[in-house]
Amino acid sequence: MNDKKELIRVEDLHKSFGSLNVLKGVTEQVEKGEVVSVIGPSGGGKSTFLRCLNLLEVPTSGHIYFEGVDITDKNVDINLHRQKMGMVFQHFNVFNNLTVGKNVTLAPVLLGKKDQKAADEMAKELLDRVGLYEKVDQYPKKLSGGQKQRLAIVRALAMEPDVMLFDEPTSALDPEMVGEVLQVIKDLVKTGMTTVIVTHEMGFAKEVSDRVLFMDGGLIAEKGTPDEVFNHPQNPRTKEFLGKVLY
Amino acid sequence: MEFFIVMSKVWSQYWRLFMHGLGMTLLMGFLTVLASTVFGSLMALMRRSNWGIGKVKPLQAIAIAYVEVIRGTPILLQLYFFYFMLPKWLPFLNLSEFACVLIACCVNSTAYVCEIVRAGIQAVDYGQTEAARSLGLNSRQTMLHIVLPQAVKNILPALCNEFVAIVKETSLASTFFIGELMTQFKTINGITFRVLEPLTIVGIIYFLLTFTLSKAIAVFERRLNASER
Repeated sequence: MNDKKELIRVEDLHKSFGSLNVLKGVTEQVEKGEVVSVIGPSGGGKSTFLRCLNLLEVPTSGHIYFEGVDITDKNVDINLHRQKMGMVFQHFNVFNNLTVGKNVTLAPVLLGKKDQKAADEMAKELLDRVGLYEKVDQYPKKLSGGQKQRLAIVRALAMEPDVMLFDEPTSALDPEMVGEVLQVIKDLVKTGMTTVIVTHEMGFAKEVSDRVLFMDGGLIAEKGTPDEVFNHPQNPRTKEFLGKVLY
Repeated sequence: MEFFIVMSKVWSQYWRLFMHGLGMTLLMGFLTVLASTVFGSLMALMRRSNWGIGKVKPLQAIAIAYVEVIRGTPILLQLYFFYFMLPKWLPFLNLSEFACVLIACCVNSTAYVCEIVRAGIQAVDYGQTEAARSLGLNSRQTMLHIVLPQAVKNILPALCNEFVAIVKETSLASTFFIGELMTQFKTINGITFRVLEPLTIVGIIYFLLTFTLSKAIAVFERRLNASER
């Protein structure tokens, strides 16, 4: 009996920018509660793949099913589905015009999930968890990179998503701030949150993932458990890539 | 020395005319600024709109054509155009000369403000939009709550320059003798046959006006920035 439930299914996903084919037919699924890391060389299509999952990039062809609904269908209101897919960006993208607290509460209040009072309480709890509650009334300008990224994670969590998508969450951070952000993601993964994370932190991917996807040339070149991919890679490209990367 | 004596004489004798001119200039400038900010912002949103049938985006096309035509022709030509054609085409409105000239100024300035607002919106990091959309906000909510509040800070300095320019451009309206500052210079020049003295007075009034305006906006700008520190 398979007791795991499919959350996202991607079928033959293609994406091109002009004449540049970035994704050349990706088929993959993510199950509920699963932690999937996507690794691979730059330009291999990792980020584009992730950004297609919530349609920040509109696929050229192929289908993406989220909780059973084909979100690539033009008649689907993507805004409703995005509410259940949290996303964290490489460059944080915290809202510069809003205080830390408002960054967290804006979407839940605006989209009618919570009234301001309930949202404030939730923001307090979430910000406390990542050690940012003392900054609740400050503007993001005052935050360090690591703090901004923790805020961005909390902002996404405030929508109580069913899946979290991380797009190289530590690539723009000073080395000493990487740890604090990875710790927050680790804690989140422990709660059973379904997570897809594009990352260059191989050690981290190895430690937290249920499955690892190695993407190269717009395709998933290899996939498996962290042990399979990191310790016994089959594809020569995977071997070459892992041989060059220090971790 | 004689220059100052004549100037003070001109001032003491005709200060009422100067003040009346100042009033008209202020009124025109204020109304133009108000109208062009409103219509210019709407035009900028039109220019950015993706609404359309197939590849044709009518709103965007109208906005682009409008901006290009207005920016591509002299403001004096536009003043003549509206001054003569509006009463002819819309006689039932009974537009005064002042109204025609005012409309021309608004039409002209709207095009420039449109470009200022558009550039200000574009300068906001696209990541802000992506983050908002990824949370499930629609494009209108994103524009209203995230992009526009940040765009205002990019827009304000350029808008300040435009306001100062508008106040000065109203002087072209003196072509039609509608009573603003430059018209008063022509009147006083006609009575006294003096050029330098009344012209200097008018120049000082213009300068004080625009200088005050830019200082006032600079203070406003600083306040706006302080709110995020």
